[in-house]
Amino acid sequence: MEETPAEVYERREIVRAEGIRKTFSLSRKQRLIEKSKEKKKVALDGLSFTAYEGEIYGLLGPNGAGKTTMLRILATLIRPDAGDAYVAGHSVLKEADKVRASIGFLTSELKLEDFFTPSYLFDFFGKLHGMEGAALARRKEELFAKFGIDRFAEVKVGDLSTGMKQKASIAVSIIHDPSVIIFDEPTNGLDVLTAKTVTDFLQEAKAQGKSILLSTHIFSLVEKLCDRVGVIIGGRMAAEGTLAEVSGGKPLEDAFFDIYKRTVTGV
Amino acid sequence: MKNVLAVLKKEFARFFRDKRLVVGTLILPGLLIFVLYTVLGSVIYSPAESYTVLAVRPSAAFSALLDESSFTVTEIGEEEIGEAKKEVLGGSADLLAVFPENFDDLLSEGGFAPVGQAPNVELWYDSSSVSSSSAYSAAAAALDALEEGVSNRFDVNISAGGDLVSAAEAEASYFAMLLPFLILTFLYSGCMGIAPESIAGEKERGTIATLLVTPIKRSELVIGKILSLSALSALSAVGSFIGTFLALPRLAGGSIGDALSAYSVGEYFALFAVMISAVLIIVSLISMLSAYAKSVKEAASLCVPLMIVVMLIGISTMFFTTSAPAVFLIPVYNCVQVMAEIFSLRFSALHLLIALASNLVYIALLVWALTKMFKSEKVVFNR
Ligand SMILES: Nc1ncnc2c1ncn2[C@@H]1O[C@H](COP(=O)(O)OP(=O)(O)O)[C@@H](O)[C@H]1O
Ligand SMILES: [Mg+2]
Repeated sequence: MEETPAEVYERREIVRAEGIRKTFSLSRKQRLIEKSKEKKKVALDGLSFTAYEGEIYGLLGPNGAGKTTMLRILATLIRPDAGDAYVAGHSVLKEADKVRASIGFLTSELKLEDFFTPSYLFDFFGKLHGMEGAALARRKEELFAKFGIDRFAEVKVGDLSTGMKQKASIAVSIIHDPSVIIFDEPTNGLDVLTAKTVTDFLQEAKAQGKSILLSTHIFSLVEKLCDRVGVIIGGRMAAEGTLAEVSGGKPLEDAFFDIYKRTVTGV
Repeated sequence: MKNVLAVLKKEFARFFRDKRLVVGTLILPGLLIFVLYTVLGSVIYSPAESYTVLAVRPSAAFSALLDESSFTVTEIGEEEIGEAKKEVLGGSADLLAVFPENFDDLLSEGGFAPVGQAPNVELWYDSSSVSSSSAYSAAAAALDALEEGVSNRFDVNISAGGDLVSAAEAEASYFAMLLPFLILTFLYSGCMGIAPESIAGEKERGTIATLLVTPIKRSELVIGKILSLSALSALSAVGSFIGTFLALPRLAGGSIGDALSAYSVGEYFALFAVMISAVLIIVSLISMLSAYAKSVKEAASLCVPLMIVVMLIGISTMFFTTSAPAVFLIPVYNCVQVMAEIFSLRFSALHLLIALASNLVYIALLVWALTKMFKSEKVVFNR
């Protein structure tokens, strides 16, 4: 599926990472867990990629490849050691506030307070996004209905099931109707029904013209949802392109293991 | 500003909707203090006991020196001495006094005899009984006074002399020492009950990250947290105070109400301002420790050394006071000094101003540092 240069030219970049490097210093405990003597762990080693407006871009990679680290940098939770990234035209280094205002970010690391109800937290985070009154109430009604949270709106988060917690987290993450949605392993640990709600939501969001960046290690999820894929291995971009380009006519899983072998053995 | 308010409201909701927190930090400490002080007070100031003294040939001069309301002197015959000793041992009487013949006449004659040859007063008591021992001490003291009277060269504080400080002033200086310490301790422990939970707890549970991906500025989050925690710490301190106010009369004898009416409106205003600045500084410090800690537990243990320092500063007025203006630049210590000055009726506007101005600078610096900490991934994600 070759694209004409004109088409390439028309697509607007929505997320662009440029030579991102991130090194973590490991505590003694972490060194024991990682069974490594190294004091530093290079999580991202000059990672670059571009996601375009209106598409679903998938970062695919095994555990520990650096996917979560990359997305945390995009959400401005952590800063890269080198390189810069742009979200909707804003630099994560220089305009962190604007980046945060334009994304809906979801990762397992972000928790909702067990003590409060989804309804209370929705209002609270809505206010932090500058929403008020009728607009906020309308948005709450809409999202709670969409994710089936309405019946649990007044139940404390601590008493909700894992799936319901995840749905509440998603609702909170997109309160402000962001133009860019960044979800880290969005179906991890969910039962099939909840997982389907999530994938349906992502497809619907794409249909509405949202740009979506998600990370996963599940091939079927990429095949089902993604327009373009970046394969991350060891903190580097091993392959990038449309789903068809990366798969090269094979099932994605087979293509991935070819890429993996090539990258790790350096052939 | 809107975000600060939103954070403030959420922190209040977190606190006031949680019965355990409300009871644990607002009601329980005050109640505990009240019970503790009341029990302590009743042990220290047990109501005057009544003593039964059995006396052979009782002396009028001796009886006159004893406190009539607590001592009952009963005359017994010489033949009843054995029986009386048993009564003292058994506890139905506290003291047996056997006076020599014509004791009162001896007193008025005066004169001198070497020890061992003078007429002897026998006092029999039971040292294993508190009331018997007390009765013995009182009787022995009365007899000493009588003996001195016999060979009197001079009196001490009989016709003139006494404490130069008036009762009100004495009470004021007593509170000047005690209150700054109590205020500081209550504020600190109030804050220690909530700040680690609100900051280290949010870190530990991963709920702070959810806040940090919203467009809220780190400084707004810090200010919202500090303001709400300060208000709640102050409330908790008020709870402890009510307990103290109600119990202190029983502990210290005096009435704290009388002492408190000694201050003017202006002095109360100054007190309020100084306390607010103390709360803000203490809350900021504990918040920094909580932000640094990896868990609520670690935060609580980090707070202990600082608590000891703050309490030591709190009791420093008991040992020395100073009026060198430079002293009022030292955080926390300046609050204690200004409070001590107000409570001991030596209020100085200059000292208050120096203290408030320097505290304002410290608070600004602490908020700035805390904002830096909230911006640092090493602090927020150091698990
Ligand atoms: N805070 C951290 N401290 C130390 N090492 C980290 C930290 N975060 C991630 N890492 C390491 O960086 C590498 C990439 O992690 P991550 O981005 O979570 O991978 P993925 O999401 O692709 O599974 C892993 O080896 C991980 O152990
Ligand atoms: Mg991950």
